Amino acid sequence: MDDAHDRGRHPNLRVLPGGEEAEVRSRRADDEALVSAFLVGDDEAFGELVRRHEGLVLSIARRYARSPEDARDLAQRTFLRAFVAARRTLGRDPMRAVPFRRWLIRVAVNLSKNHLRNELRFARARHEQLGPTEVPPVGADELLRAERVRRLRAEVLQLPRRQREVLTLRLDAELPFTEIAEVLGITENAAKVTFHHASRRLREVLRKQEAK
Amino acid sequence: VSCRDFEVLLSLRAAGALDPRDAARVEGHLAHCRSCAADAEDTAAALALARLPEPTEAERRVFRDLPAGALEGVRRSDRRRATAKKYAVAALAVAAAAAFALAPALLRRSGEAPVRTAAAWEQPDLDELWEDTEVLDLDPAALSGGDEPDSAALAAVDL
Repeated sequence: MDDAHDRGRHPNLRVLPGGEEAEVRSRRADDEALVSAFLVGDDEAFGELVRRHEGLVLSIARRYARSPEDARDLAQRTFLRAFVAARRTLGRDPMRAVPFRRWLIRVAVNLSKNHLRNELRFARARHEQLGPTEVPPVGADELLRAERVRRLRAEVLQLPRRQREVLTLRLDAELPFTEIAEVLGITENAAKVTFHHASRRLREVLRKQEAK
Repeated sequence: VSCRDFEVLLSLRAAGALDPRDAARVEGHLAHCRSCAADAEDTAAALALARLPEPTEAERRVFRDLPAGALEGVRRSDRRRATAKKYAVAALAVAAAAAFALAPALLRRSGEAPVRTAAAWEQPDLDELWEDTEVLDLDPAALSGGDEPDSAALAAVDL
């Protein structure tokens, strides 16, 4: 009877102040709950955790990967390492544990950096070979644009490490500067200035190309 | 306010990261500064070209395996850890058993370690000792003071 009664009722929803910040807190709490659930044997919880963050991790990994399979493997390793790190800190002191999402981003950034270094050191891949493949261009304008894209993406990978990290976290992962600063352990202003240096460099590369 | 004050803001504008107040300031400046307007345009173009495109359908197909692959990766890692732990415990148990078995023998061997003993004391031979001793050689003449031994002096020596 209670069920029938409840089914007819509409939930009494209230809009709480805090907006985005409250949503972020709630998402983090959910992440930690899913990690805890997986630790006690709920495989579906881990699946949900991956589905929730796969877009973010893949957006970081794609920049450094040579193929979709490469990006997927990088993302898988990211989830594995982030989970192991989260489990370790959660076991020590749950109150001071680093949020799972922050582990993910840090691990993704570090693994991508190592991946790029290994690609350049061992495979001797050229920068322009890195990155997702697209439909081949046809026509002079498209060829010109494709060349600029190739050159600029290569330049992104040649940026100084910190500039590259900030730029890709903003450009690819679309993170707010507050979160970028948190993840990289710098101030928000430092993140913004670093982003400016990176984008100014890309602008100069583009101008040189246009001048040719 | 100079153009330099807008440099960082122009990059943030291109990234879509300006708050409304700064956005209004920047747009006000760009409206009458052609140099900054050109910078803003080029920065936006550079970032647009550097940005990765959305994943293609072929990429999405590959990425579909990600949740299952990640879960399998965690399971494999757990299995490796469990196996390593099992081997470590077994190695520890073997080491403990070996130590338990070998301890008495080791301890015994350490008890038989050569001990430096002092040479046994022997009773000295008094005659040899006496012969080796340099006895003060008394000159009988000095004692007597003449041909005949002085009985008093002799008596004193005898004492």
